[in-house]
Amino acid sequence: MSLSPSLRWRRWRRSATQLAVVGLALALIVLLGMTVRDGFAARGVNFSFDFLTSSAGFEISEGVVPTSQGLQKFSSGMTNAQALIAGLSNTLKVAVVAILLSTVIGVTLGVCRLSTNWLIRKLAFWITEFLRNTPLLIQLTFWYIAVVLQLPPVRQAPEFLGTIVSQHGIWLPAPVTTGGVGLVIFLLALVLGLTALVPVRAWRAGRGWLAGGAVALLVVAFAAGFRMTLSLPQVNRFRADGGFAVSPEYAALMIAITVNSAAYLGEIVRGAIEALPRGQWEAADAIGLSRRNVLRDVVLPQVFRVVMPSFGNQYISLAKNTSLGIAIGYPDLFNVYGTVSNQTGRSLEGVMLAMAIYLLLSWVISAFVNLINSRMKIPGVRS
Amino acid sequence: MTTLRNFPRWAHKNLFAKPADTVLTLIVVPVLAWALWSFAHWAIAMADWSVVLRSLRVLMVGLFPADRMWLVWIAVGLIAGLAGLATATTMTFGRGSIRVALASILLALVASAWTPTISPKLALVLAVFFSVWAYGTRNEYLQSRLSGIAFAVLAAVLLVLSPAGPSNWGGLLLSVVITLTAALLTIPLGVLLAFGRQSRIGSLRILCTGYIEVMRSVPLILVVYCIWVAFPLVLPQFPLPDVVRGLIGFTLFYSAYAAEFIRSGLQSVARGQTEAAQSLGLSDFDMKRIVILPQALRVAVPGLVGNILDIFNYAPLVFIIGLTDFLRAGQMILANPENSGRTYEIYVFLFLVYFAVGSVITFQARRLEQKLSKGARK
Repeated sequence: MSLSPSLRWRRWRRSATQLAVVGLALALIVLLGMTVRDGFAARGVNFSFDFLTSSAGFEISEGVVPTSQGLQKFSSGMTNAQALIAGLSNTLKVAVVAILLSTVIGVTLGVCRLSTNWLIRKLAFWITEFLRNTPLLIQLTFWYIAVVLQLPPVRQAPEFLGTIVSQHGIWLPAPVTTGGVGLVIFLLALVLGLTALVPVRAWRAGRGWLAGGAVALLVVAFAAGFRMTLSLPQVNRFRADGGFAVSPEYAALMIAITVNSAAYLGEIVRGAIEALPRGQWEAADAIGLSRRNVLRDVVLPQVFRVVMPSFGNQYISLAKNTSLGIAIGYPDLFNVYGTVSNQTGRSLEGVMLAMAIYLLLSWVISAFVNLINSRMKIPGVRS
Repeated sequence: MTTLRNFPRWAHKNLFAKPADTVLTLIVVPVLAWALWSFAHWAIAMADWSVVLRSLRVLMVGLFPADRMWLVWIAVGLIAGLAGLATATTMTFGRGSIRVALASILLALVASAWTPTISPKLALVLAVFFSVWAYGTRNEYLQSRLSGIAFAVLAAVLLVLSPAGPSNWGGLLLSVVITLTAALLTIPLGVLLAFGRQSRIGSLRILCTGYIEVMRSVPLILVVYCIWVAFPLVLPQFPLPDVVRGLIGFTLFYSAYAAEFIRSGLQSVARGQTEAAQSLGLSDFDMKRIVILPQALRVAVPGLVGNILDIFNYAPLVFIIGLTDFLRAGQMILANPENSGRTYEIYVFLFLVYFAVGSVITFQARRLEQKLSKGARK
């Protein structure tokens, strides 16, 4: 069947538009590239990523870099690339902890919004409203300036169960282990033990074997000379030594992002619970489940299947929000990028790198969420 | 809620229904009472609120020249008029509103005794807001022209403020200008991007999808900073003020989000609408403009209003390019050694204002959602 003239004309027009769009986009890119090149030439530099391998020459207050000798703290003698990696490590340090904590708090907040207790319900509602209707940046600076920095100095800080909370930072007791073969075996046991705890239905049968293997490996590790002690922080003049140190900037950023994100996650959870058919509640009530069991065994499992994509979006925006750390001097990726580009004058090259890293981070998070989402789907059930 | 006589029954049902509820109530009530009491004690007995009053000008307009404050008042009046019209679309101006209007204007006039420079003008601004609201309630035509009027008001505000020099804009004024500009400019850009993402032309679709996805994956602060840095590098012959470069960054970033809201609206338009428009012989452009877009925007509006709140909440990020918005103005006041002990007063004030504005936007978004979903059910 031959096409009518008007359809042929439309098809022709469409491919012409196609070509025009591609041509316009290419022309724009070439034009942009040429003006940038001219701009660079006018200042006597050229576009290059050489600055990455040159020495950084500045210090970063925290952050680790993988080197041939394992993870090491960043020092000014390292390269700019390593500085960016240290910044990325700080970003990840906040993002991962905040994602885990805010999920727990957010789900709690969402469930509280539907509590049978009026007081809890209203309290959760107003907390959520307040967190969502004020800027994250003011929450962050408030946590930093008005809370963390108002804590007592480390000399007068109270000590509780080996934990020191002060304006100079937070010190937690940390496990110190012996190295060698014992440590490797111990880590293996830890992995096995944690795997046994992962709530995936398919592994239910093998769970006992995993746990047993973990205990057996633990005994082997102990026999191989593995020992673990607890290092308690000791207070000095301006800081404490030993234990696990958390900087005040990290603490403030982590708290601010966790609490803020929890409000958004709670709102998602509340929406999903309310969207659940009433019949689910009524059926669960009818077979005599207590409210706790209704929530735990009937409502939340269904809710988690629904909310995962929305949670994924919130996790991505959480990871992006870690870049606000620059407002309180936390050396995250964006902050380190700023320093590097100031020192080397390579802001354009740097911004491309930073964008690429953030893009990658977002993709990793959304891939991870998709993985969890597909794991939680019941086979054969269409959503 | 409840009358006093019903309180025991109400309390039994809502506070002490089960042992767990009772325990929670008995823990929360004292903690809450203690927190509220200590806050009230601080706010009344210990806090020195004069610092807020002394630095009110910096908080509100930053370094705006003092002899040109009347420009700001004209801009505020214009924005109040726009807010009045926007309110008219979600709420009718009824008998109760008259009482609220008279009471608030009277309050502002009474306050003139303490703040003679601000309060009379504030009363005038309130009068503008309420009268436009009252007039707009009865004028359907004006309501239907809201988006066009919003653009006109934006242009007028920018024009009125420009003689003072954009680099002098600051404080809450700057936050509002950023929000208004970015929120309005993202809508046409978002419409274009959303149509582009659904286009049958492959290259256009890939370009628009790529743009949206990249913008949604990188932090706003990076985009704003990047535009601010890159502009003089790419176009050294056009020196733009920092504010304009910041606005470009905000607009480019949030248009990706606006596009997603509009796209969800486009997807909700029934296929039959397209087919009916085609069978009427409408051109592609007319079909999108007359048939599809109005229906899509109807669904997208609550999301777009939420976008305004997002822009307002992230406006403080302009500190990265050296601008002084509301939050930054507060921090600058605290940097003055004279005010060093007044951290909490300033922060409480900032929080209150942010929360008030944010709540109003959220409230309007909810009203709109209810109103539009009611319309759809008919």
